[in-house]
Amino acid sequence: MTEATKIAIQASSSDPKVGLRGVAALRRLVERLETLQVKNARDLGWTWQEIARELKVTKQAVHKKHARRRFLAGR
Amino acid sequence: MFERFTGPARGAVVFAEEEALGLHHNYLGTEHLLLGLLRDSTSVGRKALDRLGIGLDEVRSEIVRVVGEGQPDALDDEDAAALRAIGIDLNEVRRRVEESFGEGALERIAPAGRRGRRKACGSSIGQIPFTPRAKKVLELALREAKALRHDYIGTEHILLGLVREREGLAAGILAERNVSDERVRTVVSELLSGN
Repeated sequence: MTEATKIAIQASSSDPKVGLRGVAALRRLVERLETLQVKNARDLGWTWQEIARELKVTKQAVHKKHARRRFLAGR
Repeated sequence: MFERFTGPARGAVVFAEEEALGLHHNYLGTEHLLLGLLRDSTSVGRKALDRLGIGLDEVRSEIVRVVGEGQPDALDDEDAAALRAIGIDLNEVRRRVEESFGEGALERIAPAGRRGRRKACGSSIGQIPFTPRAKKVLELALREAKALRHDYIGTEHILLGLVREREGLAAGILAERNVSDERVRTVVSELLSGN
């Protein structure tokens, strides 16, 4: 039995440790995917407004989170 | 704070962040700014460092020797297992991301700013906070630019800021290699006058 399968089986016993670990990993995965997608959208010429609409957040929120790095990168 | 930075100077800060991430450091210190300057071989700061005999690889290994490397924040096997436990196949996600964005896309990307985290010195470039000394370096760079009556902040001013800051790791590394502010000033003015 692989380590992953063991952990998956433990999860069905509703162990908070495993469940919370899953949430933490998911959050980190989401952050990475968001950065990747926002960067791609900007490279394709999308406005912050358009990106914000798809992410279902305010334009200010997405700008605050992602714009500074792009500004520094000279784009 | 970065409004008057030249393109290469902004680039140096972005490279500095990349270097910090690469070493798995959770702060952006003077040592990363020095590495950032060394990353762009066309910048005045880098050219000055070339003339002063300071190289990227040497500086990087010195930094690792002194402060070590941090723990990687990558999505690892344990994350994959935790995600599988809630029904998400990380390998499949990775495969699809790489299909669209190329190999290693998920690993290369650094997550954006984390809301709610302490912002050291109020000048973070998205995710890693500047140390007080790194911030001091940028303030000194601004001061150097003003003293030279330049209306921009370039990589040469950041380099001058690094040697003048005195207490940080970068200043230490430069001092150990006999790079004084005087020598930097001389080399920079040579470069700026085209010699």
